[in-house]
Amino acid sequence: MTKSQKRLAYSVFRYAVLTFWLAVVVFPIFWVVGTSFKPDHEWFAWPPVYWSQTPTWDNYLNVWTTFASYADTQYVQSLQKPWIALRNSLIISLLSTTLAVVTGSILAYGVSRYRILSEARMFQLLVLRMVPPIVIVAPLSLYYAALNLLDTVTGLVLIYYITSIPYAVWMTKSFIDEVPYEVEQAAEVLGASRWRIIFEIVLPLIRSGVVATFLFILILTWSEYLLALILSKSEVVTLPVELSKYQGSSEGRVYGRQAALAVGITFPLIIIGLFIRKHLARGFSFGMVRR
Amino acid sequence: MAQAVEAAPPPQRAGRRATSQAQSVRRFKWLVLSPFILVMGAILVPVLFVQLYFSFHSYTIYLGNWWEAEFAGLEIFRDVLTDPRLGWAIIRSLLFATGSTLGCFIIGFALALLMYRPFPGQAVYYIFFILPMLTVPIVIAYTGEMLLYQNGPINGIISSIIGQDVNTQWLTSANLALTTVMLMEIWNWTPFTFIVMMAGLSSLPREPEEAAQILGANRWHIFWEVQLPLLRPVILLVLILRFLEAMAEFPKTWSLFQGGPGSATETVPVYIFLTTWQYFDISRGAAMSYVVMVLMIIIVLGAIRILRREKRSLDRMYEGEGTA
Repeated sequence: MTKSQKRLAYSVFRYAVLTFWLAVVVFPIFWVVGTSFKPDHEWFAWPPVYWSQTPTWDNYLNVWTTFASYADTQYVQSLQKPWIALRNSLIISLLSTTLAVVTGSILAYGVSRYRILSEARMFQLLVLRMVPPIVIVAPLSLYYAALNLLDTVTGLVLIYYITSIPYAVWMTKSFIDEVPYEVEQAAEVLGASRWRIIFEIVLPLIRSGVVATFLFILILTWSEYLLALILSKSEVVTLPVELSKYQGSSEGRVYGRQAALAVGITFPLIIIGLFIRKHLARGFSFGMVRR
Repeated sequence: MAQAVEAAPPPQRAGRRATSQAQSVRRFKWLVLSPFILVMGAILVPVLFVQLYFSFHSYTIYLGNWWEAEFAGLEIFRDVLTDPRLGWAIIRSLLFATGSTLGCFIIGFALALLMYRPFPGQAVYYIFFILPMLTVPIVIAYTGEMLLYQNGPINGIISSIIGQDVNTQWLTSANLALTTVMLMEIWNWTPFTFIVMMAGLSSLPREPEEAAQILGANRWHIFWEVQLPLLRPVILLVLILRFLEAMAEFPKTWSLFQGGPGSATETVPVYIFLTTWQYFDISRGAAMSYVVMVLMIIIVLGAIRILRREKRSLDRMYEGEGTA
């Protein structure tokens, strides 16, 4: 084989493999979006319905609005409307993420410039994220019950704050480390206070990094399931928990409704995630891989 | 870069100013740490004590007030430590974590190797390949169920490719259930290994590779003897982070199987959850949590040692690159 033949063969091989994986990735997404537009007799049809013959908005209307034209009371009557869950999810994830990013980035500044936490302490911080939350969740729920924090927004915000802090500190620190110290030195010589330096020089310089950190943690908090499941009973149900309520109800499977809700939950995350895609590797690796 | 900015604050003229500087840094330190210490002190520390309390007092939901529970000494711990079900759960968790980590790693690394050099369509593939990571795990669980039930589309597709009826019982066979969750986990998190390996591969210095080429090494040699050693920090990072996350996997395992069929998917998180919220045996759940927590902390501290070492070499690499 000549060199150019070899190159062509490699190119064909590459596209073949990549396209196969593309199919693996896209098919489930296609299926769940497709199902969300299917009327109920197509949900479990055999042979499976790949492309709905009678697409409908009913699932969305039924799940997300009160104007369902079809089977209003058939499947969802016992369920909380997802808008309440959406509101809870929004409040909880925005609040805990904001707290984590604000306090975390200032802490990261202190670590980067004044080493207020040693390297060993910084790594110990990771324990908070790396030990599975299931090991503290039972005593946590009893403790919360005693404090009347069970089933409240505050309770979930506090625990999400704790689990987000390692990401917030590590990720923002990796951005702050990249800012040259000279700028701050100049400001210091001119008499700027430390807080002014943080808020008017450093944070604006790493603006895109702070936004990326914020959105990254938002994705994680938004999708969290275990803590939300255990620490909420009926009042502050979040979207992932709401979705799990569509399972195993006595009416049988309600795939179409579930799919309509699932699409609603996931869609914003995909938009956010694609928006910060250049920073995802950095986020998931606690800022250790920078790209 | 990180080292470069760890310099002490700028030198001061007078000694007095230096002390006041040090004082103000100390004040700053405690101020900045205070919200964190506050939350930890108010939530996490008491919770660990509550957990310890329940591990030594027998209590189930049915027994009145928990603060009046009967002291049981080490009995509950003995019970938990001799419980074969917990042993199996740990083994299952380790199997699940190892399998899904390796799966994610092999696929993600292979894709990254095929993709890290620019080619037409690279950006499009990249965007699609990271989608699973951005999907809520619980959504993946239910989507998996829609796809994998016995007369579902996955069996449909496999049937039409092979040409005969396939009815794999992804969701009801005890032999397959853990594998099914593992496949979902791999689908979910391959993007993570993929993006990190992409980042690692594309920030590799080119010189060693070129030198090896000049010396006449073939692609295979370059990969094994030049690129792979340079990638070691990134590879270890990916494996460790993925493994630890997989050890904690709960949403997919729980929402699809609740530990069943039989106890086929009873991983550690699921078993703790069952004990505490289905059997309402708070004490056993707490003692079990304690045992698992100690075990996990040992694993995590080991992992952190490795991470610390590898982070140094990563930082050196980015420094050498000069663009970090």
